[in-house]
Formats: sequence, structure tokens, C-alpha cells
Amino acid sequence: MTSTRRIGMTVNGERYEADVEPRTTLVDFLRGTLGLTGTHVGCEHGVCGACTVLWNGKAVRSCIMLAVQADGAELKTVEGLARGATLHPIQQAFLEKRGLQCGFCTPGLMLSIDELLARTSAPTDTEITDTIGGHLCRCTGYQAIVEAVHLAIEKLRTK
Amino acid sequence: MSSAEKAIPRSLAEIPNSRPRYIGRPTNRLEDPALLTGRTQFIDDVVLPRMLHCAILRSPHAHAKITAIDTSAAEKLAGVAAIVTGEDARRWSNPVMTVPPGWGTHCLAIDKVRFVGEPVVAVAATSRYVAEDALELITVDYEPLPAVVDARQALAVGSPLLFEENGDNVMFRKLFTWGDVDAAFTDAAHVVQRDFRWHRLGANPLETFGVISQWDEVEGTLTCRGSFQAQNHFAMSRAMVFNLPLHKVRFISHPHGGSFGGKGGARGTDITALLSRKSGGRPVKWIEDRMEYLAGGASQAWDRHYDAALALDVDGKVLGFRVRLLDDLGATAEGWGAVSAAKPLTAFTGCYAIPAAQYDLTIVATNKLPGSPYRGMGPPPHNWVLEQLMDLAARELGLDPAEIRRRNFIPPAAFPYTIASGNEYDSGNYEATLAAALAMGDYRALREKQARLRSEGRYLGIGLVTTIEPGVFDWNAYAIVGQPGTGVPEGATVAIDLFGKLTIKVGFALEGQGQYTVAAQVLADWFNVDIADVRVIPLDTLSAPPHFGPGGSRLGVAVTGAVLGAAQRLTEKLIAVAAGLFRTTPDQVELRDGRIGVKGNPEASMPFQEVAQAMLGRSDLLPPGIDPNPEATYVWTAPGRTPADDQGRAKSYLTAANACHLVVVEVDVDTAQVRIEKYWIADDCGTRLNPASVEGQTQGGVAQGVGAALLEEAVYDEDGQLRTSTFMDYLLPTIYEVPMTVKQALCTPSPFAPLGAKGCGEGAMHATPAAILCAINDALAPLGLEFREVPASPQRLWTLLRQARRDR
Repeated sequence: MTSTRRIGMTVNGERYEADVEPRTTLVDFLRGTLGLTGTHVGCEHGVCGACTVLWNGKAVRSCIMLAVQADGAELKTVEGLARGATLHPIQQAFLEKRGLQCGFCTPGLMLSIDELLARTSAPTDTEITDTIGGHLCRCTGYQAIVEAVHLAIEKLRTK
Repeated sequence: MSSAEKAIPRSLAEIPNSRPRYIGRPTNRLEDPALLTGRTQFIDDVVLPRMLHCAILRSPHAHAKITAIDTSAAEKLAGVAAIVTGEDARRWSNPVMTVPPGWGTHCLAIDKVRFVGEPVVAVAATSRYVAEDALELITVDYEPLPAVVDARQALAVGSPLLFEENGDNVMFRKLFTWGDVDAAFTDAAHVVQRDFRWHRLGANPLETFGVISQWDEVEGTLTCRGSFQAQNHFAMSRAMVFNLPLHKVRFISHPHGGSFGGKGGARGTDITALLSRKSGGRPVKWIEDRMEYLAGGASQAWDRHYDAALALDVDGKVLGFRVRLLDDLGATAEGWGAVSAAKPLTAFTGCYAIPAAQYDLTIVATNKLPGSPYRGMGPPPHNWVLEQLMDLAARELGLDPAEIRRRNFIPPAAFPYTIASGNEYDSGNYEATLAAALAMGDYRALREKQARLRSEGRYLGIGLVTTIEPGVFDWNAYAIVGQPGTGVPEGATVAIDLFGKLTIKVGFALEGQGQYTVAAQVLADWFNVDIADVRVIPLDTLSAPPHFGPGGSRLGVAVTGAVLGAAQRLTEKLIAVAAGLFRTTPDQVELRDGRIGVKGNPEASMPFQEVAQAMLGRSDLLPPGIDPNPEATYVWTAPGRTPADDQGRAKSYLTAANACHLVVVEVDVDTAQVRIEKYWIADDCGTRLNPASVEGQTQGGVAQGVGAALLEEAVYDEDGQLRTSTFMDYLLPTIYEVPMTVKQALCTPSPFAPLGAKGCGEGAMHATPAAILCAINDALAPLGLEFREVPASPQRLWTLLRQARRDR
């Protein structure tokens, strides 16, 4: 159990190297080893989506991935969205449309939306629903999240 | 302060600002930038020096004697610092307090376990991984006992007993009678009686409970950081559990990822405190995982068997309402579950003028997880029973569901109105709310569409329900189940600094509803400053003024009252100083639009900040004997509350918000799938301090209501094993199930509450399950079927539909 493996990866454009136990989950590595605590853990069994991060541009559940699987990868977490004090258009849209209440599920959700909007600047309603559909939010009832996605699309278009 | 203190403003016109910019507008939330960038510090983000991590070994049995525990192998594992069992709990702590008293245990099982998931042994180690490794090395020998899982069997003679010393499994039993209910039923032209079943479900905030406890044996103190919904309540309970004076207990509530009443955490807090003590004072963190939450946390509420009846006259006027409730609280009463059974007293008869009522309440113990609070705290099942009976009565009398409700509404002129069960509703216009919902949905057209589709073999159902949301909870409502007290204090300290900026110090953490923003809106408008000039600061239990925090739809109203009261007191102080500066008397000085000056003389005025700056930096200018601190505290508690009588009657909750929900569902009679087509809500919660926040609360309540109505259920088998131990089995509603609703706001201000605002966080949870169930029954009516079970899962509905087909 105590043997470790050296891994390296880029997170939000910064290079990290560390020794990890092979059993360490990716989310525990991000939160515990790197101190990037913006990624949250809601269920630890891959259902709720709170722990979603981008792995080589793809949304993945970091609670059911091992840190060693991210060796050599480029990762993006919620800490990589804003530029300094300037919120990313998705974050700004969530703020203006009240797409969050407690904010616990929000980082993961925003990264799935980031993945969607990187793929297409004009997603269909079904694509939007299917993106949000991979996440559980217990506070908002999703309506304001849908509105936030539409506003984010508009903001990114006029950027 | 002066004896003739001014009353708290009950309307916006009473604050000293002719152009308020924030109150009543959808102001962006101060909380959001930190949340959106991942900077908000939730409890699992906190790391302390020498911190240990806790893992808990839990009972695999619903009911069993513990015959032996062997932790010797675990103790030898590298990285393990401390292990505690029931023996440590017995040595160092008391059983947790319960409502009703006498139905609780220590945080770790002693001698026997009473439910699957009950904590038995806990380990503190250098990481959670190592702590969980250690659990694998612990052996516990059990001698299984017969378990009782069904509430009705728990009442039977010879049933297994949860607490042998109590003689039976009845935690609480009382018959409440209000008015001549026997005469109402004797004189009735119609009696509509049915049984109803509401299965267990619960809060499931996305963040589970978490805590870091530190026991300092030198100072004799306990410090706990965690996601406490009501930190002061936690501190008081821990003081009693550990025989500590309250000033030696400090609770620091961190921002939490939702709560909805079901955050829980008392056992985890006590266990980590014991581990910290045993490890020589190292901080011990425990983050509940989701499976622990579902099996052993505050995840379950409202396991109820109802038998209820309405008595009506020939015109459909309700004369009496009888409810018999068998409430299954699970293994102990540690989770305030009895309070949930008592809360319906505050709105027993809903929106209706029903002169007589009766509540035959029995609360029993079974070998399941102890019940906890959940959004609404009891009325969601009760309101469903009442509203479904109203629909069934309408059908029997040949009335439209809208019409029978209109005939029974408390009329607008009757407020303030005291209901049969004793609470006073402050204000309302229920006919207007109903009319707004009907107009939004074009009710007549809906009924026509329904008839048309029925002729095509499609089953559309229309649900139309109303609700009262009692707001601003008070302990007096719960005296009857063993929770004493009248009044719930909420304090705020307001201060101006030397640079002229404002702070509000409060005793509650961020939870999601946006109350920091509400507090800042109120203060910014009071002093006519930009909201960015106000910062809200949460304080721990030993630093904050008396407080409770969020719960019972109260905090928005309560913190508004506290901030207004503190701002008023601070203004009085500024005026006293300014009177000296202007060489006049305080009665000639006023605050208006952010300036303090002599009344009727616009020349003689200055920004209020300059008065505060003089107080802090120019003692030479101050009148003698003046208090130079530009800070004031006010502890708000609801006015006019009364203690309960022997039938539980009291002026309890201060406000009564009202809503009408109209929903259309389609039931596929072949697959038993229920699809929500459209959903309209007319909602009257008085003054909306932040309308966007109110809408968010409403929509969030709808989502939880949809979960309750169609999906969520904690399932136990006959041996007391939990079958829904992950989110793969316990289904939370996703965007695929939750309707996007059309909402309309009405406003009947509260005549009693600060700025006329009413508590508003729970109402949609009262109405949504009822609306969906009424709609399903409306769809099934032409088939001669009734469905009276929550959740209306496809499998249950399918069974009913199949049975009906076979019978035909």
C-alpha cells in the first residue's frame, strides 16, 4: 500500500510532479496534494458530477479516476476558469442568472458546460439538457442553470 | 438603550432613504464570486496542523447485541493514532438529548446496535485511506436480535423493543382536539375518509456533513469547525454531551453545500471529539461519505401512515378535519423527528376556515435510521393528505377542485386569523392566488384539452393545490413534543469603520439561500451606500450575538429584523454625536439618504460616515459621556409569541405565506410513466426582499417536491437492511424530471414582520408533492382508480394499473 509512483501533469496551465500511492483518486490528489479545493466531492461513486474536471479537454469524474491515470494529462479545474478577478463568461452568466445557490455542485457543472461550449458555440436545447443531465443540483431546480447556459453562449458569442 | 425604542420598520417607507436601491430588487449575490471561482472554504477544504482523519465502522445489523470488539490489529497499523468504541463514549460522554426525551444513545453503540449504519468503532489516522484500512482490521462479534421494521408491527404486543427500559416502542402519543370535531362529523352531509402512505426520503444536500474537532485538555475546551446548520444549537448540545460549560465550547460554522434541515452531524461531531481527546488533543476531521449519509446520516424523514377524513356540509363547506398519524421515527429520537410531527399544528387546516379538527398522533421507534428534519419539517405529507382529500371531496360532491377550495378559503377580511390548532395567520388573499394560477394556466382550456385527449385514450391529469407556508419558526410550536421555549433569537452587529465602510456580524454560515446578500441589501439601503461598501462576517458561537441561523423559513425575515434593529440603534448613537457637533438636541437631528443633519435645514448636514469617523478619531469633538463606538447590536425575535396550551395551541410561526400550484401531468397507462407537462405557480410571500432569491427557493422546492412525489425513497427490506445505499438506488431528480415552471408573484405584506416579508424557503416543498399526486389521481379518475402512496414510482403505479386491468 505504501509504494508510490511518480506522476506529472499540467493543471490549469501549471506543471506539477508528485509521488502518489496508486490507489489515490484523482480528486483526492487535486484537493489534498495540490490544494486545489475548488473541485468538490458529492457522492464518491460517479453519479452526482460535482467532482467533474476536464481531462485532455474531456469532462471526467475525478472521484472514480485514479491520479495515476492522469499522468501526462492536461487538466482543467474550476480554478482555471477565471482570469484573475475577471470571471469567465460561464461564471459571470451563473452569477447574473442565479445558476447557483449553495455553489457546491457548481464547479463541476461549469466544467461540463465549458466542455460543451468549447465543442460548439451554438448547442441545441437537447445538448444543453444532456450536459446538465449529468449533474445533480439539489438547490436550484435547474431552471436558472439553463438560463445561465443560454446567457453564457451569448456572452461568448459577443466576446 | 432608550426605553422608548422605535419599532422595527414594517415597510420600506419607514426606512430613512427616499430612493432605496437594493431591497425588493433582484440584487446579485455577494456570496457568488467566491463560490464560482472555487474559493469558498467548505469544511473539507480546511487543513490544520497535525490533523488526523476519522473513519467509522458501522453496524451491518438492524438489531443485534455486541458481544465482543477486537481492535488490537488495527491499533498496530502504522498511522493509526486513536480508536474509540462505545466504552470510550460511556466514559467520556452522555447520550445525546432527544425530542421527546429518553429515546437517545451515545454516539457509538454500547451493548447493542439498533439500525444498519449505526457507528460502532471509530479510528483516527494520518489519512482517510489509512483510517479505512484500519477498519478492515477490526472485528466486532454480534448476536443478531429480531428486528422490527414496520411501524404497525412496532406497536404490537411482543414486538422487539428498541429501548427495553421504556417498556414499548411508543415514543410519543397524544390526541389533540380543537373544537367540537365529533359534532362536525355527526352533522356532516358527506364524510370523505382515506388512508395514505408517505415513505421515507430526505434532504441529501450535495455536500454531506463534515467536522474537525479539537479537544484541549489543558484549557478544558472543545473547538469544532464544521458544516453546522445551527452552530449554537450544536454547541449547547455538545456542552451537555460532554459536561462542559458553554463558554468552553466553540463552534465555527463553515460555508456548507446545502442543508435543507438534513445536514445532521451530531454523532460525527461527538465521535471526532472523543478521538481528539484520546489522541492527546490533535484535530480530527471526519467527512461523511455519501453512503454513510444515506445509511447513517440525516438522510431520512417522514415515514408516515395516515388515516384522515373531512366532514362536509351539502354545499361542500368543510366542517371538520381528522388526522390519525402513525409516524415511524426509526431507532432513536436524536434527529428532531418528533418536531416534524408537531409542525403541522402551525398550519393544520391549510388555507381553509375549518372550525374543528383533531390530530391523533403516535410516534414509534423501529430498527431503521433515526428520522431527521427535511425542508418543510412535516407539512409536506400533511398538506398532501389535506389537499388530496379536498379533491376527493370535490369529486364526491360534483364540484370542481377550484370551486371547493374557493368555498372554504379564509376570506381576506378575516386576517389576522386564528386557525383551529391555535396558530395565527398574519395576512393573505388566497382567492387572488388561486385566480392568478388559474389564469396563468388557462384552466378552462386545460380541462377542455383533458376531455379531448381522454376521448383519444390519453390520460391527462390536472393538479391544483394551495398551501400555507408557516414562516419564522418558534420553539413554542414544539413544546408539546418536549422542546421547551418561546422565541428564537437572531442577532446582528452593525459597525462603521474609520474609513466609513460597513460590516454586519452574524452567527450563521453561508448555506445557499443568500441571506448575507439580504442583510447587506437592508443595511446598504438604510445608510444609502453602495452594497459593495457592506461586508457580512460570520462569527463563531462565542463571538456572535445570540443566534440560531437558518431553519423553519425564518432567517431572511429574522436577519432583516436584526439588521434593521442594529441599524436603528447605531443611527441613534450617530444622532447623539451629531447633535453635539451641530450644537442642537438629538430630537432635531435625523438620518436621511445617508446624511445626518438638522431637520428642515439641508445646509447643516454631513455624510453619516463623518460622524462615525469623529467617534473613532476625534474624541475632542465628542459631547461628554457619549459612547464613542460606532457599532450596535440587535437581537431580533418574533413579536407577540405565546406559550402553547395543553392542546399545543400557540401563536407560533409569525408569518403565513401562501401559494397555489397548478400542474398538468400525463400518465401513460401502459408503462405507468408520469410526465410533467406544464407547471404554474402563483406565490404570495409578502414583500420579496430579493425576488431572484425567492424564485430560486421556489424552483428548488419544486425540484425536491418532484423527487418526493416520483422518485425518492429510502427502502428497507424486512430484515432492516437498507436497499438504497447509493445515488444509483436513491434517485435525486435531474433536469430530465424537473419542470421549468412559470411563476407569478403576488404581494400581501405581513403586518407584523420586518418590511412585510414572509418566510419563503419551504412552501414549494409543501405544495409540489401534493400537486403532482392530485394530478395523477385526476388522470386516473376515469379508470376508477386512486393512488395514495408517495413516491408514485413507476413500479407502484404499474402494479395498480395492472391490478385494475386484471380486475376488469
